[in-house]
Amino acid sequence: MKSANHSRLGRSWLPAHILVWLYAVLLVVPLYYFVASAFKTNEEIFASPFALPSSFGLGNFGTAFHSADLGLAVVNSALVTVFSLVLTLALSIPAAFALARSTGRLASLVESVFSLGFLIPTFAALFPTFLLAAATGLFHTRTFMILFLPATAMPLSVVILVQFMRTVPREMEEAARMDGASTFAVLRHVYTPMCLPGIATVLLLNFLTFWNEYLYSLVIIGPDPAQRTVQVALPTLKSITGTDYGVLTAGTVLTLVPVWIVYTVLQKRMQQALVSGAVKM
Amino acid sequence: MTTMTSTAGETAVRRPTPSSPAAARRPRRQGGTILALPALVWYLVFMVGPLVAIFVVAALRWPGMLQPVSFAGFDNVRTVLDDPVFWDAVSNTAIQLVVAVPVMVVCAYMLGYYVAQKPPGHKVIRYLLFIPGLISTPAKAMVFYAALSPDGLVNGGLKAVGLGSLADAWLASPSTALACLIALDIWAGIGFTAVLFAARLGSVPEEIGEAAQLDGAGHWRTMWRIHFPVIRDYVGVVTMLQFLWTLFGSAQHVLLLTQGGPGSSSTTLSFLVYQKAFIAADLGYSQTVGVFLFLTGLVGLLAIRRAFRRNH
Repeated sequence: MKSANHSRLGRSWLPAHILVWLYAVLLVVPLYYFVASAFKTNEEIFASPFALPSSFGLGNFGTAFHSADLGLAVVNSALVTVFSLVLTLALSIPAAFALARSTGRLASLVESVFSLGFLIPTFAALFPTFLLAAATGLFHTRTFMILFLPATAMPLSVVILVQFMRTVPREMEEAARMDGASTFAVLRHVYTPMCLPGIATVLLLNFLTFWNEYLYSLVIIGPDPAQRTVQVALPTLKSITGTDYGVLTAGTVLTLVPVWIVYTVLQKRMQQALVSGAVKM
Repeated sequence: MTTMTSTAGETAVRRPTPSSPAAARRPRRQGGTILALPALVWYLVFMVGPLVAIFVVAALRWPGMLQPVSFAGFDNVRTVLDDPVFWDAVSNTAIQLVVAVPVMVVCAYMLGYYVAQKPPGHKVIRYLLFIPGLISTPAKAMVFYAALSPDGLVNGGLKAVGLGSLADAWLASPSTALACLIALDIWAGIGFTAVLFAARLGSVPEEIGEAAQLDGAGHWRTMWRIHFPVIRDYVGVVTMLQFLWTLFGSAQHVLLLTQGGPGSSSTTLSFLVYQKAFIAADLGYSQTVGVFLFLTGLVGLLAIRRAFRRNH
């Protein structure tokens, strides 16, 4: 099999190999440049952009942390992300449970509302959402983002969870019912444990989107350092530090760390989640 | 209502044991469709409501948050259509879509096919292709800022190979600003889209490709004539999504990298929505463009769906 594969990919594949690895280099070089520059001064960066840093001092990280209040921003991002995730699950698990088990016309209507919602780009309603925040008195708060983000995640989360819940055999529920389990108990002790992979997918996908969310956080939470998230704080480094690339890159690297840790630890699962989450209709 | 239909539907579907005790003890349906209500309400309040509001605000004369509001009817539409900046944005968006989406989808399809053949090193490639899907928009923008600013990576590289005369202030030059934004779309878009195609191509039965190879078809032929028709629908869906992401998502890139300038050379429609709402405070104008953007998205979506529908 292996050798067959190799003969299949003969010499005519050389241009393909070259092009693909060229693109891979284009993906890696900026990241390498970022990580390397985070440990350098401007002079070093300009003189030898691709050289390894001469020392691994954390000075740039300290400056980035300080000048853009990144520490606080990370805490804010973490708060918004965690609470939004909890709320997303609290809303989507019961909804998926209901939709997966129900065969009524209303349920299938609701389900198609969610699957169509997948096509509505979040950006479309930025300004009306801003009005909503103002009208509810939650403008310039993280609370509004915590309430709002789960709504944006609802279509995808519900659709993914419904698919998982449909695979739970009816007999499991019937057995539990015989033992006198309530609907809630069925959800809690039968469906939820059996759908953990689906829940993990939803968590991972939404962790990425919530942590990386930028435009709404910028408009609704605003620039107040006490409230703003890390994605909003990051671009301010550009103006604060002028062209101190060392600090700019150090700040960027800092914001990537949480995502990077999760990706490395859960690589397989994360890749599956991203692939399954992108196209669901 | 739901109670009735769901019980009826259920007995119709689940035949084998009509007289099971469980069924008899189940006077009300076991569903609880009501549990879907909170999620639905949440979704309607925070997503559908604001979406509808776009159309309302578009019909208002509203020159700033704290200014009095009055009904404008189609006046905003007239103002927008008479504004040369709007037409610049239309043409910029058109260029962006026409260049970025096809390049992205075609390259990603070929790259996905390559990865799906499992050539040496395909695991490393796959790992790397996920990178753009992981990093946030501001981080991507910082990457491009560091690469393209006057003393950034690209100019440094050009100087290093003796082409210093080609160096330019890429993001600040009217002739290259839009191209930079398109490059960012393509750079970030190919990798992740390729992973999606690779995953989908991985589930195409191997025999299909092998049979074609035995008939003497080269990879180029197999890729486009054999595999492409099999996953045609999927390519269509991915194209639709990339179209939407590019159309609506460009506001963030523009905001972070060029602010629409110089002049209006890199103003896209979605950035115009943002700029008129939050910088120029012309809210009726902004949302009129928003309606236009939304309709463009809808029409584009249907057109792409049509183009990818099997027509044989």
